[in-house]
Amino acid sequence: MSEARGRRRDGLALSRALPDRSLLAMVAAMSLLASLTYAGAVGARALSSRWAAGAANLVTVQVPDPEKLPADTVSGSAASVSKATAHGDGASSASSALPASQVEKQSGGQNAAKPDMTRAAAIEAVLQASPDTQLVHRLNASEIDKLLAPWLGAAGASALPLPAVIEVHLFHSAKLSADTIASIAKIAPGSLIERNDAWRVRLLDIARSLLACAALAILLVGAIGAAVIAMATRLGLGARRESIEILHGLGAVDGYVASRFARRVAGLSLAGGMAGTLLALPPLAGIARLMAPLSGGGALNFGSGETGFSIAETMTALTTLWGETPPALLWGLGVVPFAAAFIGWITAQVMVRVWLRRLP
Amino acid sequence: MIRLSNVTWRYGSPTRRVAGGRSADPATALSGVTFSVPQGGFRWLLGPSGAGKSSLLRLLHLEALPQSGELEILGTHVGVDVKRATLARLRQRVGMVHQDFRLMPTLSISDNVALPLRLERRDEAAVADEVAAILRWVGLSERSGALPAELSGGEQQRAAIARAVIARPGVVLADEPTNALEESQSSRIVGMLREVSALGATVIVATHNDALVRRFPAPALRLERGRLTTDESSTP
Repeated sequence: MSEARGRRRDGLALSRALPDRSLLAMVAAMSLLASLTYAGAVGARALSSRWAAGAANLVTVQVPDPEKLPADTVSGSAASVSKATAHGDGASSASSALPASQVEKQSGGQNAAKPDMTRAAAIEAVLQASPDTQLVHRLNASEIDKLLAPWLGAAGASALPLPAVIEVHLFHSAKLSADTIASIAKIAPGSLIERNDAWRVRLLDIARSLLACAALAILLVGAIGAAVIAMATRLGLGARRESIEILHGLGAVDGYVASRFARRVAGLSLAGGMAGTLLALPPLAGIARLMAPLSGGGALNFGSGETGFSIAETMTALTTLWGETPPALLWGLGVVPFAAAFIGWITAQVMVRVWLRRLP
Repeated sequence: MIRLSNVTWRYGSPTRRVAGGRSADPATALSGVTFSVPQGGFRWLLGPSGAGKSSLLRLLHLEALPQSGELEILGTHVGVDVKRATLARLRQRVGMVHQDFRLMPTLSISDNVALPLRLERRDEAAVADEVAAILRWVGLSERSGALPAELSGGEQQRAAIARAVIARPGVVLADEPTNALEESQSSRIVGMLREVSALGATVIVATHNDALVRRFPAPALRLERGRLTTDESSTP
């Protein structure tokens, strides 16, 4: 303790030599940028994961001539099924025709369909009986009208012979079994099964790109912060040149002078980092509020989710931020001030030691 | 103990030359300097301005390193390959008194004097005792809390001497320590440096004050144009 007091009375007077306020403000600004960038990356990752998971587990089955009786009960002829995988710009079909005898062998879930059912109802029953499905929902007429409204207008859909559309939510990482697909083909030949794996891959690619951009941005912010700290340290060295030369002449080792500067700069950087991180919290809470409807509730669901800000809701979001924000984001935000302090410490150490090299 | 053997030191680049110049290269501050001073010895360092007195003291204070020749201070050989940490440790054992005092303007006299001990990380209680004793010796006990700017030139120089000797160095160097001081103050300063020498430190004092040299007779080293022309080391 007394030794530390003694160190402070060495004439360097760094509290007056370094541009304290401007350094603190610059580090705070850099930390604010780093915090927002990091939060953006974490948010993008969380959203893309959520969407990718949703896309991966959703299968759409289109049943042509849905109100007819199942094909096997009408003709008993060969059945075919078209499987398609969405690629963003439409579905490409890969039809495979199976001999009736083979379909008969593969068919396992067909027992769920009763003889008097329509094709759509029979397929719905088969899907509901499958152990892989979590939820089966056949779109009703108004839902299909809404789906087609952008292309056909409000009243245009009813006149067309539309297929039935059945949404199937699978359990996590589950797939429709070959038996179920074969049953669908047997009940309604020409049915289209649309999976969304490609969307998932694309969303994950987008998430990875965003993360890479965020990492680059954080690196740049760190580098700019280090440059700012280096300039501030040089200013301090210039202001205390004579004092440093006196201490050097009295036998002060390089490490002593470098540590004095590094401690001061690290302290200022820590304070600036904390200020920047705290300043990032209100906008983060606001963004979290806006993201609530997109995230489907849960971790980032704050307030009503409606657009527009109110101080009360933002404050509520702030107070619940700690408890409901993903741990990765909290850890990251917690690390920002210490990262700023470390960058300050190491930059000052290097700058001072290099500067001292001019003295023998 | 200090020992120099054929030491040469030039400002800036050693290859610098001035065409059509005098016999000695103007960039050469010291050329072929050889002498030694035993432990506890006292030497005047004499010579006109520009003779190389300050350059020699800079070398002995390790603010510069010789480009050729051998330099040994307190048993340590000093060359261009010496480690920085070794130089720093050696500097702690070489006290230096400058003509412009070089006191820290923001520190009190007692804190200025305490600096060498604090750099050695001595206990603060011991530092306080040592500072009080040394300030009594130089007659500045009552001015211990004053800033350097509040002291006279003679008082500041006594504070500088106190700082130079508080860590009991083996070598004390003084570069024109009585410059611009009154006669009585000058005598007091030199008297203190003689006391330090009598206590066992090797002391070299650069001056061009002949009256002072006559008043305090001691062997002299005389430099001219960077060369040692007189070495009265054999004088008792």
